[in-house]
Amino acid sequence: MAITEAREPPAQRRRRRLRLDLSTPTLLGLPLAWLAAFFLVPIGIVAAYSFNLYSLDPGTHHFTLAGWHDFLHGSVYLSLFWKSVKMSLIVSATIVVLAYPLAYFLALSGTRRKYVLLLLLIAPFLTSYLLRVLAWKVILGNNGVINSFLFWTGLRSPDHPLSQLLYSKFAVMLVLGYIWLPFVALPIFVSLESLDRRLLEAATDLGASRLQAFVKITLPLSLPGVFAAFLFVFIPTLGEFVTPSLVGGTGGYMYGNQIVDLFVAGFPDWQTGSVLALFLLGVVAVLTVVFSRFLGARTAVR
Amino acid sequence: MDVALSRTGAWVLRIFFALVVLFLYAPIVILVIFSFNDSAFPSFPLSGFTWRWYHQFLVNGELRAALETSAIVAAFSSVGAVLLGILASIALVRRRFHGKSPVSALLLSPLVIPYVVFGISLLLFFHAVGIPRTVLTVVIGHVVITLPYTILVLMPRLQQIDVSLEEAAYDLGASRLRTFRSITLPLLLPAVVSAFLIAFTTSFDEYAVASFVVGSRLTFPIYLYSALRFPNQLPQVIAVAVVVITISLVVVVGAELGRRLAERRLGAEG
Repeated sequence: MAITEAREPPAQRRRRRLRLDLSTPTLLGLPLAWLAAFFLVPIGIVAAYSFNLYSLDPGTHHFTLAGWHDFLHGSVYLSLFWKSVKMSLIVSATIVVLAYPLAYFLALSGTRRKYVLLLLLIAPFLTSYLLRVLAWKVILGNNGVINSFLFWTGLRSPDHPLSQLLYSKFAVMLVLGYIWLPFVALPIFVSLESLDRRLLEAATDLGASRLQAFVKITLPLSLPGVFAAFLFVFIPTLGEFVTPSLVGGTGGYMYGNQIVDLFVAGFPDWQTGSVLALFLLGVVAVLTVVFSRFLGARTAVR
Repeated sequence: MDVALSRTGAWVLRIFFALVVLFLYAPIVILVIFSFNDSAFPSFPLSGFTWRWYHQFLVNGELRAALETSAIVAAFSSVGAVLLGILASIALVRRRFHGKSPVSALLLSPLVIPYVVFGISLLLFFHAVGIPRTVLTVVIGHVVITLPYTILVLMPRLQQIDVSLEEAAYDLGASRLRTFRSITLPLLLPAVVSAFLIAFTTSFDEYAVASFVVGSRLTFPIYLYSALRFPNQLPQVIAVAVVVITISLVVVVGAELGRRLAERRLGAEG
């Protein structure tokens, strides 16, 4: 803190004088109060449910760790969690690998239309999520675009459609990859664009091949963007429930679907559901903190 | 010699880029084709051109009501999120206070919370407090999840605005509020507009959180989701999809062009 103060230009020091009306508490009061009431307190209530301090059942409630104990020692929910982790890992890793060359092309090929092309790439991400899932439902179904095309051209008999296309793990991963691919290119593009080209020129001047320059300079310097991209996809897909419920069937059922079903299905179990939800939140929080530490450490080294 | 790419490399990447763009837009094009297809099932062979599905959705009252509800929800929640976002961004950029990093972490944390967890938290909260689920509860949830987006759009712009302009106004006797109104806000306006658009479109399209806190008045994504379960409504839904996707593409491209135009103008002035 002290170091930053010493470095400040006089203009910023003078600014403190302005702290008369529109004070910092006035500015921060509303946003923080909103988040406290409608974000932090609700999560606290989920925690209370998970410890049985709140319950759907009438009567008195005692603090208990039973919900957590059952969750951590039972195999059903944890194995479903691992299945979701695996699915999200595959999706995130695949599309990061696919997006890297796209970002590289935009940032480093010297094309003059790079922002137009970037917009072309990202625009689908900004259109309706549900409708893009719908498009794949139309394409993959037993009487959908792909199958009916195969019947029509005689490549496959109508009695034997490619039935694994829809309502499967494959469908969920394909659709999630489709949805997140444009977005994932963005952080990688940003990190590649800020790359100093002179570093590459220096490397080639010193006799490095393009591949060597890439492995030793470009790739390491773009890693923060790659990790950011990976995490930006991994986190939301891990808790995904909308896509699997539309195209997943039983094979593509994910952890997020289980959480929803524990709350809104025929026999709701809010305590177990709360445990599952908090566990997911904990995993995501740890990932986020570890990643921001990693980013912080890298910027400190530079 | 280009240090980043060989000639062949550039061509390979160009073709790869084109293929990915094709993959991204093909499903949308397929929706457009089948929205004009004169058959109750979206399948090959195509059976002739029709406007029937567009006409059907135009006269579908439930659908229009859902679109209207979503517009209301999106309008209120985006205005709310932008107002809170402006306050928070000014504090984060222009003020110095203890605990700035935990405060900014909290303000941005709705970005990473899984929506299923947040939706359920809100559901339990409204249940515990006894607030009935209505349009208002959806707005409350959407303000929370769009607030970080507005902050992320507003903060960089605010950092670009020269603080000495605000100080000059203040030295000339303008009050804090007056300074904000006549100096900061006009300069911040392009970012305010982008923040508003992002919040609006996010809210308009949001299904996951809304599905837990929506009342009897359905928003458009909720209506869409339920319509997806009835095959006879599919062609109509496809027609709606085409209209919505077209509008959002136009808005996105328009907003981007507008932002760049404004930035160029500001750049020319500075």
